[in-house]
Amino acid sequence: MKTSIVVDVAFWLLAVFAVYTGWRVFRTDSMVRASFFLLLSFIAVGVIMLLLSAVYLGVAMFFMMGVEMMVMALFMVMFMMNPAGLNPMMMVHQHRLSIGAGVASFVMLAAMALLAEFPRHPLPNDVQPVAALGNELMGESMLIFESAAVVLLATMIGVVVLSSQRGRFGSAEQGSMPPGLEPGGDPAGMPDEDEQAGGHHHCH
Amino acid sequence: MAVGWLSRLAMRGPATVFPALGMHGEEALYRLAREPGITLVDTPRHATILLVAGGVPPHFHDSLRRVHDQLPAPFAALWYRSEPLLELQQPGSGKMDDLAALPDTIMDTCRRLMAGEQDTASRLLSDTPPHPWQGLGDDGHGGEGMMGGVPYGRPMAMPPTPDLRDGLALDILTFRLGPFFPLWPAGLEAEVTLQGDIVQQFSVLSAPYPRALPRVFLEAQKGPVAIAELERKRIRYHMRAFFHALRLAHLPDLARRALVLAEQCDSQPVEKLSKRFRAFERALARRGFFALYLPQGGTLDSEQSRTLKGFAARAAGVEDDVRQADEGYRRLGFSVLTQQAGDVPARWRQRLMEVEQSLGLIARAQQKGTVTAVTDVVELPHGAGSADGLLESLLPGLEWSEALATLASLDLAEVSPWPCP
Amino acid sequence: MALSVMLEQLVWPLAMVFAVLGGGVYLWAVLDGLAARSFGLPQAQSVWLTPLSRGTWLLIQQANSTEAPDLWAWRLAPALYLALAAVGLALVPWSQGWVATDLATSLVLWGSLEALATVVIFLQGWSANSHFALVGAYRYVALGLSYILISMFVLIGVALPAESLALTRIVASQQDVWNLVRQPLGLPLFLMVGLALTFRGPFNLADPRDLAGGTSVEVSGPPRLVWELARSAMLVAFSGIAATVFLGGWLGPWLPGPLWVMLKMLAILALLAWLGRWFAVMTPSRCLSLMWLILLPLAFVDLVWAGVVALL
Repeated sequence: MKTSIVVDVAFWLLAVFAVYTGWRVFRTDSMVRASFFLLLSFIAVGVIMLLLSAVYLGVAMFFMMGVEMMVMALFMVMFMMNPAGLNPMMMVHQHRLSIGAGVASFVMLAAMALLAEFPRHPLPNDVQPVAALGNELMGESMLIFESAAVVLLATMIGVVVLSSQRGRFGSAEQGSMPPGLEPGGDPAGMPDEDEQAGGHHHCH
Repeated sequence: MAVGWLSRLAMRGPATVFPALGMHGEEALYRLAREPGITLVDTPRHATILLVAGGVPPHFHDSLRRVHDQLPAPFAALWYRSEPLLELQQPGSGKMDDLAALPDTIMDTCRRLMAGEQDTASRLLSDTPPHPWQGLGDDGHGGEGMMGGVPYGRPMAMPPTPDLRDGLALDILTFRLGPFFPLWPAGLEAEVTLQGDIVQQFSVLSAPYPRALPRVFLEAQKGPVAIAELERKRIRYHMRAFFHALRLAHLPDLARRALVLAEQCDSQPVEKLSKRFRAFERALARRGFFALYLPQGGTLDSEQSRTLKGFAARAAGVEDDVRQADEGYRRLGFSVLTQQAGDVPARWRQRLMEVEQSLGLIARAQQKGTVTAVTDVVELPHGAGSADGLLESLLPGLEWSEALATLASLDLAEVSPWPCP
Repeated sequence: MALSVMLEQLVWPLAMVFAVLGGGVYLWAVLDGLAARSFGLPQAQSVWLTPLSRGTWLLIQQANSTEAPDLWAWRLAPALYLALAAVGLALVPWSQGWVATDLATSLVLWGSLEALATVVIFLQGWSANSHFALVGAYRYVALGLSYILISMFVLIGVALPAESLALTRIVASQQDVWNLVRQPLGLPLFLMVGLALTFRGPFNLADPRDLAGGTSVEVSGPPRLVWELARSAMLVAFSGIAATVFLGGWLGPWLPGPLWVMLKMLAILALLAWLGRWFAVMTPSRCLSLMWLILLPLAFVDLVWAGVVALL
C-alpha cells in the first residue's frame, strides 16, 4: 500500500493537534472547556485511525467520545458546585505529585516506544476489519462481552436507583431508613438525634 | 453596488419587532400579530424594531434602557401611546398614537433602516458588565480549594440546598425576568431560581399591569346593558388569551385564527361565529394542544381558586358566577358550568366551554333583546385577577415550559379603572 | 489521467455535496414557507424571496456579544454544526460509483455525527453565558441521548438485510423491495429522529418559544444566519440519509440516479415541513416519556422485525 504525501502531512498535523488540545485540557479554566478539548484530542486520534485504515475503530471513536465527553462535562458541572461551569476554576491540583507522575509515565512510554521490538507484519489486503470485529464479538469472546454488558447495565440501573430521591418505595428520606434490629424497632445504626432541633445542626 | 443590492433584498423581508408592553399596550400587540409583514420576536436580540406600547412606569425605565441597548444594530425604537425615555425626547423620536397606522410606520422604519436612510439608534447605557469581576487572585483561583470569589456575580452553589427532584442540587441559577418578558403577562417581574429546567423558587417582584377591559364591563356596573354585547366581549377576551397560549405551543397559525376570531366577535353574526369556533375547537384537539403541549400540573387548591374566582375557580369545581343571580341571564337558561380537575388543561377546557355557552347566550339574547338585571357587580371574564403568593406556591417544582403554560392559563392582572381605549 | 481520476473521485462529488447543501437549504426554507401558507399564515412576499431577504437581513445585522461569553466556542459552534451537516451529506451515494465519502462504515459515521451534534448544540447554548440559552442546551443533551439510541436501532435494522454498514450496499440491497416496505416502522421512527435532531416542530425543545429562542436567544447577525443555515443543512443531510436507507436511494426507473435521490430528498423535506407545523410543541417530560416508553420499544420491534425478515 503506498501512502501519499498528503496522508503524511495529515498525520503530523493531526498528531500535533491532538497533543496541543491534550495540553490545553489542563491549562483551561473551565470543566466544560476541558472536556471538549479532550474530545478534540480524541477526534484527532480518531482521524489518525482512519488514516491507518482502522475504519470502524476510528469512526467508533467519534461517536463514543462524543457522547462520553458530553456526559462527562455535564456530570462534572453538576457535581462540582460551579454554576453551569461558567465560573473560572483551576483544572489541576496536587501539582508536585502530578508533575512527577507525568514525567514518570512519559519516560516509561517513550522508553517503550524506542526500545521495544514491534512486529513487522504488513496487513494482508483481504482483511475485513468490520467482519473480523464482528466475529470477535460474536464468536469466542461472546460470553465475556455479554456478561460484562449485563454487569454494566445492572450497575447503571443500580446507581440510578440508589441516587434517585424519588425511590420505588417513596421518597429517599423514608426509603433509605435502615430496618430495625427487631421487628418494629428503631432503625439500626442511626445516630441519636437531638430531641428539639429536629436534626438541623449537622456538623460541616 | 453590491451593498445596495443586498439592502434592497433585506428591505423586502418582514419587519422583526420586539414588543415591550407598558400599561394598556396589548391592542398594538394584537394588531401587529395579524400583520403578515411583521414578525413578533421574543428576544430583543432577534429584532430590528423595539416597539414600546403603552405607558411604562418610571421605576421600569432602567429595565427599558437595558432592553433598548440589547437590540443589534441597525435598530430603531418606536413609541406607541407611550412617552419616550427622557434622553430620547426630541422631534422625530418615533412617537405615535394611531393604531391603524402602526404596522405601516413599523415597516417603513424598518425599510429606511435597511436602506441606510435612517441612522441606527444610539445606545443609552455604557457597555460595562453588570457584575464586575470579583474573583480572588490573578485568574479567579485564589480562593479556598480550587475556586475563588464571586467571579461574575454568580456564587458557587454550596450544599445543602433544598432539592426538588433528583438529588443533584448543585446547579442552581437565579435570575430576574421581566417586566418586558413577552411570554408572560406584561409588567410581571420576578426572581426565578432554576435548577436545570425545574423552577425551584419564584418570587414576584412586581405584579402584572392592571388590565383594561372593554367599556361594556364598566357600564354594566352602572346600569343594564345588552347581554349579547357583554358576552361578545367576553368571547373576545378568551380568544385573545388563547392567542398567547397557542404562540407558546408553537401553533402560530391557530394563534392567528384565535385573534381573527376575537376581532370578528363584535360584528359577525353569531351562527358564523359558532361555526368558526367549533372548527377552532376541533383543530386544537387534532393539533395536540391538549395532548402534547398542556402540562397536567398547575392545580389550584380550593382556597386559591376561591380567591381567584372566575373561570379558574369554576375549572376547579367552585360554583361561583355572578351571572346565575341575574334575572336576565336566568331567563336565557344560564347555568354555571364547572369542572373538577382545576389544573391547566381544565382551565383551557373551561374557557372553551364558556365561550360556547356565551355563543348560545348571544343567540338567545339577540332574539329577545335581553339586558342585565344585576348592576352592582358584574362577572368579569377573568375573575378577581390577583391572588397574593399564588405563583410563589404554584410554580416551584414545575419545569420551565410547564410553569409558563401555567402562567398563560391564569389571568393575574387586576382590572384597570379605565376601559380599553 | 491523474487529473481526470481526481476530478471524478474528488472534485465532482464534493461540488455535488456543496451544491445540494446550498440548494437544499434554500428549498427547505421555501418548502417551510409553502407549508406555513397552506396552514393559513399569510406571507408578506413570495415564499421564494423570503429566505433570501431574511438571510441578507441577518447578514447586515450586527453580531452582538454578551457578558463574558466563551467567544471561540460561541462563534465556532454554528460553523461546526454546518460542517457536521456537510460531512453527513457527503456520505449520501448519488449513484453506484458516485459518492463523496465511500466508507465501509458510513452508517456508523452518520451515527457519530448525531453524537457530535449534541456536543455542538450544547456548546452553542453554553458558551453564550446566558440562562435561557443554557437551559436550552441542557434540554438538548438530556433528550439527545434518546434520539441517538432510536436512530441507532433503526439504522442497524437497515444494515441487516444489506449485511453491510456501507450506504452503497444498503441501497443495493433494496433492488427488489425498498426498506420502507420491508421495515414499515423504520421511516416513521427515523423521521421523528430527524425533527428532533434539528429541533423542529413538536421536538423543538432546544430553541423553543418558552425559552425565547433557547440556544440562540442571544445570537444575532451573521452567527445567527450560520446557525439557522446549519440547522437546515442538517435536515437536508438527514433527508439524504433517509432517502438512501429507506427509499432506495438512486434506484428508480427512467431518470438518472442522482435525480432520483434528490426527488426523494425533496419528498422527505416536504413531509417534514408539514409535520413540523402540524403538531404543538411537547413538554420536555412528555418528550422524554414518548422517546423512552413508546418510540424506543418500537425501535426494538423494528429491529426484531428486520432480523426475522432477514432470516426468512
